[in-house]
Amino acid sequence: MTSSTARVAAFITGVAVSGLLCTLGAQGTRSVWDGVYTEAQANRGAALFDRECAQCHGPAGEGGGMAPALVGSAFSANYDGQTVAELFDRNRTTMPVGKEGQLSAQQNADITAAMLQFNKFPPGATELPSQSMMLRQIKYIAER
Amino acid sequence: MSRTNSRPSIAWAALALVVVWMAAGVSGQPTGSSRMPTQNGEWPNYSGDVKGSRYSPLDQINASNFNKLEVAWRFKTDNLGPRPEYKLEGTPLMVKGTLYMTAGTRRAVVAVDAKTGEQKWVYSLDEGKRAEMAPRVLSGRGLSYWTDGKGDDRIVYVTIGYRLVQLNARTGQPIPTFGKGGMVDLKEGVVYGKLVNGKWQQVQIPLVEGEIGTNSTPLVVGDTIVVQSAMAEGLRYEYTNNAKGLVRAYDARTGKQLWRFNTMPGPGEPGNETWENGSWNWTGNTGVWTEMSADPEAGLVYLPVESPTIDAYGGNRLGNNLYDSSLVAVDLKTGKRKWHFQITHHDLWDYDLAGAPLVMDVTIDGKPRKIVGQPGKLGWLHTFDRITGEPIWPIVEKPVPPSDVPGENASPTQPFPTKPPLFSRNYLAPDDVIDFTPALRAKAMENLKKYRWEQMPFVPYVIPSDKWLGTILVGNTMGGVNWEGSSFNPETGIFYTQANNSAISGASLSQEYFDKIKPEVHTPNHIAIWEAPGFAQPGFEAPSTSGYRANPVAGGAPAAGGGGGGGGRGGNALTEGLGGLSIIKPPYGVITALDMNNGTMKWQVPHGDTPDAVRNSPLLKGLTIPKTGQQGIVGVVLTKSLVVVGDPQVTAPPDRPRGAMLRAYDQQDGKEVGAVWMPAAQSGNPMTYMVDGRQYIMVAVGGGVYTSEYIAFALPRSDIAKPTSTQR
Repeated sequence: MTSSTARVAAFITGVAVSGLLCTLGAQGTRSVWDGVYTEAQANRGAALFDRECAQCHGPAGEGGGMAPALVGSAFSANYDGQTVAELFDRNRTTMPVGKEGQLSAQQNADITAAMLQFNKFPPGATELPSQSMMLRQIKYIAER
Repeated sequence: MSRTNSRPSIAWAALALVVVWMAAGVSGQPTGSSRMPTQNGEWPNYSGDVKGSRYSPLDQINASNFNKLEVAWRFKTDNLGPRPEYKLEGTPLMVKGTLYMTAGTRRAVVAVDAKTGEQKWVYSLDEGKRAEMAPRVLSGRGLSYWTDGKGDDRIVYVTIGYRLVQLNARTGQPIPTFGKGGMVDLKEGVVYGKLVNGKWQQVQIPLVEGEIGTNSTPLVVGDTIVVQSAMAEGLRYEYTNNAKGLVRAYDARTGKQLWRFNTMPGPGEPGNETWENGSWNWTGNTGVWTEMSADPEAGLVYLPVESPTIDAYGGNRLGNNLYDSSLVAVDLKTGKRKWHFQITHHDLWDYDLAGAPLVMDVTIDGKPRKIVGQPGKLGWLHTFDRITGEPIWPIVEKPVPPSDVPGENASPTQPFPTKPPLFSRNYLAPDDVIDFTPALRAKAMENLKKYRWEQMPFVPYVIPSDKWLGTILVGNTMGGVNWEGSSFNPETGIFYTQANNSAISGASLSQEYFDKIKPEVHTPNHIAIWEAPGFAQPGFEAPSTSGYRANPVAGGAPAAGGGGGGGGRGGNALTEGLGGLSIIKPPYGVITALDMNNGTMKWQVPHGDTPDAVRNSPLLKGLTIPKTGQQGIVGVVLTKSLVVVGDPQVTAPPDRPRGAMLRAYDQQDGKEVGAVWMPAAQSGNPMTYMVDGRQYIMVAVGGGVYTSEYIAFALPRSDIAKPTSTQR
């Protein structure tokens, strides 16, 4: 990269980051109760869940002998008060066992959306983003 | 590729420090003496001893000071593998001032200074694809220790890829004279059935793809190492065929195989006739996936056997299926069966034996008795004379309901122990249905009308229909006692256990799943999964649990506190309208004490804080809910006077930060006498030890967003009296 293209790239990145921060700032603090994923996204995620997750965690995320439940109070208690980024990053970096990191960010976001749906958080009009920094703005609150 | 990071100079310095107080201590295995292996403050076996006791006579930490416990040191396991672990189930050993443990997602072996947690060495084996395809992954439950008593001290463990490895306890280097270069390939000699030119043969499983492993610890008794076998977890099989379960013993010095016990008796052996229509040929599993126990004096090893393929459907394996779900006693020297008792005939529920058998000496009706107790998912402690196999108290065969699944033939009777009493529920009694409010109860009773609900265990699964959505089951897959096992105080004759009291599901075999597992699909070839076209190639779909529906509509998603509802896909007919609460009443999880001198319950208390989702439930607003306990898998450790165990779930009650408590109960009355905070739930059984006059309680925690960690608790040094000659 030449120095001029580097400067241009830096400028573009700077603009993009500022724009992103403005967007996030405007959104304020949201929670999983605010419709942070779409029905269509959760459906895509559920199909992925069947293929990538259900073998160990059960078709409805009810858990198995080794794999913990992904629904219910014990699961919620782990994430309550955290952000959706923690859940997304857990999926992204440690799952599925043996295939860690092999799913795309979008696929991980879709699976995370499905998990929110399994846990009865309402869908909304916008998709769950696939960047964990953005997901840090969405609080995981177990009980409304 | 093996990696060893050895720091012998530090190790020797540490050993020199402790050798003074350890001088009178004898490490190693009980080989005839009745002396407790934990007597000198060590913890040289997974359960303290080889009898499943989980008992240490230490009493520095007691009811008067438990609340003063502080974190002495902690050991984070994140970097011991290619990714962090969240499910550390390990229990370390402590021998001669060093703690040995498995940790991390590559199941590394780590030695640390027991006083400070300083790492001495670490060993791990990168097994590549063989580990990636293994049925039992992660760090496992721990390891074992062998000594010749003359300074040859070795650590023994089984890798994720099913290799038995021996390491020098001081350096972490493989023992070159054991097996080949320090290891024995346990996959060699494991067989499965194959139809060749119209004749069934038992052939070697593939060394990479063949499905077998273990995450339990090998049992070291004297100079014999006994190794179990496990396959993938239950309720996920679509293939009738798999590796056949077996237990083998090896010479602790050389790794030479001493004997082999086939947990599915072959042609000509007693019990083979219990596999009707030749089903022994193709059926797999029936291994021993959990901890085993031994009576070193009697020279007997007790094997808790699991269920065969396919767990929830037996149409491909009619008959009682020995030694499915049986407790089997074999001779330590020869592996020959001495006696067995089948706890569930023709298991269709994943009731397989999950906890270590307890070898107990008690006095019953004035007579000293040598007994063995098998705790399990069913909530019973099946108790036998451990030499003869005769039940101590009558175990009665009673009629149980038939199956209406095509091709199935459920056993017409099952054994019901008369004593000791149940330590956790194994069916849903009407009185145990949720009744926080009349409305909740009415809704729950309405929901139950959609299910096959008979008030006893052993009610078969159904295929969903207009008549039934599923079968109400309590205490099968995740109920009662699981791998965490139980405990026994040999000085008082009292048995203690944590148990899951609320694992309820509306269990069914979906039509879609049944169509994959019915006999017509598999007959006559009954191939194993690794023989399936495209196996392990991109696009090959591994058998999923999709056929096992804890609830046909929504799955048996765990609800608030208990099991059976509260989430999942779509609606959940079992817990619909219950606001996410379990359909089963608290207590969701319990600790129980059974007096084994007379087979009675001494006490039972709920264990674990009331889950947030119950405490904060809008449906329960204004009600006073007594402590509910929590469901989950957490083992206890016994000190002289305490039962110590952590919460299985994290909570955030108003009076403390989010986390889980490590609790102490008085062994006499079950009263909680102390609790200390932990950042995450207990994930592995605690143990206790003493070094330099200071007692430690060690526990593995993790889960959710918290990566795995071992935490050592101890009293502040200022609270510890100077060691006396008897208190090393």
